[in-house]
Amino acid sequence: MSRLGEIPIRIVSRTPAASTGTIGAGVTAILIEIATQLDRLADGGEPGAIDLRSLPMSPGDREQLLKALGPGEVTITLKGDGESTINETGIQGVWWSEYRDRGGELIAGFIEIAQVPAILPVEPDQLRRGAQQLRAGAAGAAQQPGN
Amino acid sequence: MDLVSFARGPALEVALAVFCLGVVWRIVGFALLRIRRNFNEPRNSLVKAIIGGVIATGSRSWPHSEFTVRTGAGEALGYGYHIGLFIVILAFAPHIAFFGSLFGVTWPALPNSVITIFSVLTFTLLLAVLFRRVTHRVLRMLSNFDDYFSWFITTLVIVTGLMATAHIGGPYQTILGLHILSFDALLVWFPFGKLMHAFYIFPSRAINGTLLSRKGAAS
Amino acid sequence: MAHYHDQPTIGEMLERHGVSRRTFIKYCTAMASALALPPLAGRAMAEQLRAALRPSVIYLSFQECTGCLESLIRSFSPSIENLIFDVISLDYDDTLMAAAGAQAEMARDKAMKDNYGKYVLVIDGSVPTGANGAYCALGGKSAVDILREAAKGAAAIVCVGTCSSFGGVPFADPNPTQAWPVSDIVSDKPIVNVSGCPPIPEVITGTLLQFISTGKVPDLDEYRRPKVFFGNTIHDRCYRRPFYDQGKFAKSFDDEGARNGWCLFELGCKGPTTYNACATTKWNGGTSFPIESGHPCLGCSEPNFWDKGSFYSALSAPRWGKAGEVSPGDVLKVVGGAAAVGAALGVASAGLSRLRQRHIEKSTTNNEAKES
Ligand code: SF4
Repeated sequence: MSRLGEIPIRIVSRTPAASTGTIGAGVTAILIEIATQLDRLADGGEPGAIDLRSLPMSPGDREQLLKALGPGEVTITLKGDGESTINETGIQGVWWSEYRDRGGELIAGFIEIAQVPAILPVEPDQLRRGAQQLRAGAAGAAQQPGN
Repeated sequence: MDLVSFARGPALEVALAVFCLGVVWRIVGFALLRIRRNFNEPRNSLVKAIIGGVIATGSRSWPHSEFTVRTGAGEALGYGYHIGLFIVILAFAPHIAFFGSLFGVTWPALPNSVITIFSVLTFTLLLAVLFRRVTHRVLRMLSNFDDYFSWFITTLVIVTGLMATAHIGGPYQTILGLHILSFDALLVWFPFGKLMHAFYIFPSRAINGTLLSRKGAAS
Repeated sequence: MAHYHDQPTIGEMLERHGVSRRTFIKYCTAMASALALPPLAGRAMAEQLRAALRPSVIYLSFQECTGCLESLIRSFSPSIENLIFDVISLDYDDTLMAAAGAQAEMARDKAMKDNYGKYVLVIDGSVPTGANGAYCALGGKSAVDILREAAKGAAAIVCVGTCSSFGGVPFADPNPTQAWPVSDIVSDKPIVNVSGCPPIPEVITGTLLQFISTGKVPDLDEYRRPKVFFGNTIHDRCYRRPFYDQGKFAKSFDDEGARNGWCLFELGCKGPTTYNACATTKWNGGTSFPIESGHPCLGCSEPNFWDKGSFYSALSAPRWGKAGEVSPGDVLKVVGGAAAVGAALGVASAGLSRLRQRHIEKSTTNNEAKES
C-alpha cells in the first residue's frame, strides 16, 4: 500500500452530489460574500479576497461555485517558480487565483475581488530599476565599437 | 505539576480517602448508636412496624396532602435540582469516563447539548433555592453556615463545569482544574456537613417510621 | 528601513537570486493561507519582508532528537530553500551547514560578532545542567555556556520545539541530566516559544517570518507562544467536535465508532487542553493531522505532556500513583483503607456516645430514685 488512494476507506456521509443542480447553502454564502465585496470595491473600497482553503468545500461545492461564476475572458499565467494561473470569472472583477509551486502542487487558492489582481502591478522602485537596467544596457551597447 | 494534574491526581486521591473515611465513620457511628429502650407495650408487631417504616420512607418523600399548597413549591424545587444534578453527574460523557476509570464500568452518555440544558436549569433552580432560603423567614432562622456552604460548594462545581464547557473565564485547563478541585473540596466536605443527607435521609426516615409505628402512630 | 553595513534588503537579495517580487508574493500568500491569516496579509508580509534586511540566524541544537529540524526542512510554503537563501542568512546550523569542526565554530563566532545585538538565536533542544553541563557539549563547550554566550548578543531567541520551550522529554521525571528549558536559563532576552514535538513547520517559519517582517516579538500567550498559532485549542477547531458535542465516542481503535470517525476523547485525546495549529494548518502541506488519521492528540505542544499519564487515558480520568494510572484496584485500596479507618472511628465514637448515654441514664435514674 504505497498510495493514499489505496487505503481502504468507508464513506460515512456523502456530501450532496453536485449533480442535483441546486446550489448548496455554503456556496450561496460565498456568492453573497463576493457580491458584497464587489459593491464595496465599486464604492471606492479596498479590494478583497476569499481564501479557498479556509472554506471547507467539497469537490461538488467547488464545481457549483465555478459554474455559478462562469468562465471569463482574461487568463493570466505567472511563470515564477512554477506555473500559477489567475482566471477572470464571468463576473468581471472577480478573479480565481491558483498559485502553484515548482512541482505543480497547489499552494494557495483564492478568489480575488479587484480591478486587477494585486500581484500584477509593478512598484515604482521596480520601474526605476528597470529603467536603470535599460540605460546600463544601452550605455554598454554604445561603448562597444562596431555595434 | 499543573492544576489539572494536581486536581485529578493527589488532590483527588486525598479527597476520595477523606470522603470514604468520613462517610464510613459517620454511618458506622450512627448505626451502632443505642436506640433508647422503650418500656411501653408495643402497639404493633415488629413486622408491622417495619412495614410502617417503609411506608414512612415513601410518604415522607412526598408533600403531605394538607401542606401541599405551602410546601409543594419548595419540594418541587428540591426535586428539580436533585434530578438535574443526577443527570448531569451521571450522563455527561467526560464524567462517565471519570467513573469508568475509577470503577471500571461505563454506560451510555446523553448528548452534550442536553447536558448543557440540564446544568443551566439545575443552576437556575439552585439560585431559586438559595433565594427561597434567605427570603423565607423560618427557613432563614433554621439555616446555618453548613446549609450555605453545602449550597455554595455544590453550585461552585456546577458553575466551574459550565464555564469549562462554554470556554469562558480563562484557559480551559485552568477552569477544568478548578472544576475538579471544587469537586475534590465537595468530597472532603461531604461527610462532615449536610451533604451527608444523601446517606442518612432514607435510613433515618425508615428508622423513625419503624419506631413511631411500633408506638402505634399512623405512617 | 535604513541600510547599514551597505547590506542589501531582502528584496534586493531576492532579485539577485532571480526570485521576482511576484514569486515572493506568491509564497508569502501561500504561507498566509497555510496559517489561516487573511489572504491579503500575505502580500503585506511580502512587502515588509522585501524592505527588511536579511537577519543573521544562528541555529543551535542541544539535547534534542533533530525532529524539529526534520520538521522545519519539510516546510512547504515557503520551502526551506526559499527561507534560508532569500529571507534569512542562516549563519550557523551544525546539521545543515557544509562546514564542520573548528571551521563551523569559527563561522558561528564570526556571525555572533558581526551581528552583535541583531541576530536571531534559534534554539532546539533542552539544556542539560547536570554534571556541569557535561551531558551535552559542542566543540568542548557545554550547552549551557554556549547558550549563555550566544544569548548575550541576540536580538531575540526563538525556541523551536517543546524541549527548548518547556524542557521536553529530557525534562521528564526524574530528569536525569537536569535539563532545563531556555527560559529558565536566559531571562534578559525576548523569548518566543514555538512548542510542539515537533512544531508544525509552517508555524516555525511563520514565526520567524513574522518576526523578521515586523521586527517585533509577536503577541504571546502565557507560555510565550505566538497567539496567532497557539490561540485556539485543537478541540476548538477539531472537525470531530460535532461528535464530541453529540456524545458519540470511539471506545477502541477498531470499533464502530472509530470507523465512523467519532470523537477520540475516551481514547485519551488531549485536544481540549492543547493549544496548537494542527487542526487548521495541518501537516505535510495541509494533508492531515493526527486526529484526522484516527489517533488522539497527545498534547505535545503543552508543558509536561510526557508526564501526564497515559496518552490513552481520558482527560477527565483520575490519575495518581507511580504510573499515573488509576485502576479500580488502586481505588479499592484507597477506598478500602479509608473505609477501615472510618469504621474504626465509627465504632469508637458510637462506643463513646453509648458510654455517655449510659452515664446520663444512670444519673437520671439515680435522681428519680432520690426524688421518689
Ligand atoms: S477528537 Fe479530540 S479534539 Fe477532536 S473533538 Fe474529540 S476530544 Fe476534541
